[in-house]
Amino acid sequence: MHLNYGFILEDFPVVLKALRVTFALTLISYLGAFLIACLMGSVILHKTKILYPILVGFNTIVKGIPLILQLLFCYYGIPQVIKAISETTGLITYDPKNLSYFGFAAVAFSVNYGAYMTDVVVSSFKAVDHGQREAAASIGMTTAQGILYITGPQALAIAIPGLSNYFMWLLKATSLASITNVFEMLAVARASTADNYAILEGYIVAAIIYWGVCLIAESLLKKLNQLVNHEVKEHEHGRTGTYQKEAWRKRNLKGCEPAGE
Amino acid sequence: MFYGQELFGEALPILIRFIPVTLFYFLVPTGISLLLGAWICKVRVGKKGILYRIVSLFVSFFRGTPGLLQLYLVFFGLPQIAALFGADIYRWHPGFFYIVATCLNFSSFVSEAYRGAYEAIDTGQVEAGITIGFNRFQNFIYVIAPLTLKTALPNLKNLEIDLLKGTATAYVIGVVDVMGRADKLVALHRGYGQLWILSAAGLIYLGINIIVEIFFRQTEKSLRISERGIHAS
Repeated sequence: MHLNYGFILEDFPVVLKALRVTFALTLISYLGAFLIACLMGSVILHKTKILYPILVGFNTIVKGIPLILQLLFCYYGIPQVIKAISETTGLITYDPKNLSYFGFAAVAFSVNYGAYMTDVVVSSFKAVDHGQREAAASIGMTTAQGILYITGPQALAIAIPGLSNYFMWLLKATSLASITNVFEMLAVARASTADNYAILEGYIVAAIIYWGVCLIAESLLKKLNQLVNHEVKEHEHGRTGTYQKEAWRKRNLKGCEPAGE
Repeated sequence: MFYGQELFGEALPILIRFIPVTLFYFLVPTGISLLLGAWICKVRVGKKGILYRIVSLFVSFFRGTPGLLQLYLVFFGLPQIAALFGADIYRWHPGFFYIVATCLNFSSFVSEAYRGAYEAIDTGQVEAGITIGFNRFQNFIYVIAPLTLKTALPNLKNLEIDLLKGTATAYVIGVVDVMGRADKLVALHRGYGQLWILSAAGLIYLGINIIVEIFFRQTEKSLRISERGIHAS
């Protein structure tokens, strides 16, 4: 195995610079996905007449098609949509030499992960006790205030393990964008490897960086989860008052925790 | 705007013929990883020795890096490692490298699913097995393995569906499955009607996905019979 160790060290800062693009793509896609999840989740929770079946069908389709196909869809399709809009209305200018492939990839990731996160949002809102909403109404809060101050924060605390799981998946999935012309970490690693007539070195560098970033992100998210859900537990503990009850609850819940990822 | 509608009907019969290839790249890694994952889980549960550290590092690496990157690493790295032992595998079929990379990736995820399920098993069940005279092997076959599989099934279902969708990425190293053939068709028509060809591929993946999901749902339902028995009595 002929590894050029000098080149690995040389390549490190080059690939590390592209970590910014990976982070930007992850964060923008994640925010978009969260917004889509909240919108779709609210429609599904309310069971709005026409939108509900449409969104459920859309959800199934998005989850059933490989992410890479959706990326290629956005990569090929969005420029055509932009072109058609610019030809008919003239609101946007279509410039084929200056397309934002980053944006197209972000749209694909947002829609895909939004569909997955919708389930998390819906199930965590359903897990909040019904009495909480009634309590909010009883002290004269409007529905929006009730969601904002009472049920929303509780649902968020329940949703955090699931949401952070999807963050980790998304962080790794952004490497697929290297196929659709986005110069994030894997694409830069591939390009620098090819430029220097190497075979494997750039990929090793990218793997080390991804591994490190994932370990750090995972431990941070675990801490966040402990922080938030510890508070909830303490609050419940204070309310029920008995230590034994809490211990029993923990024991019964032990088998229900999501395993691994 | 979306020209080339006729290519949808043209591409669909061509792509349908490649469904067995996609299923092959789905089922072979599944079979290998379910066994390899069980072994990894066994080592990880032991929590002792050098093997435990090595395997933990292995699982951490394969869960912490993207699957696409692992695919490239295996595709470019494995021939070099084999060359150290004097084997020339540079010209082997890319499907081989895809299967190796996927098995490594998937078995580490499966082992985590098993481990979570194994640790959730009530110790009373194992003790009950011992009281009726099971030895360790019988206890594993009749008590531990079924309970673990049953608890791990929801997680395994999600992982299997991810694996099925992941087979689409195999085309980047030159595997010709449904996605690879669709990519070749796009190149053949020089980008004309690419969206319609890709939608045909998407439709096929959606169909396979729904069938796999129904299979898992039926399995889950049939495994719930034991719980029903408890509630009835």
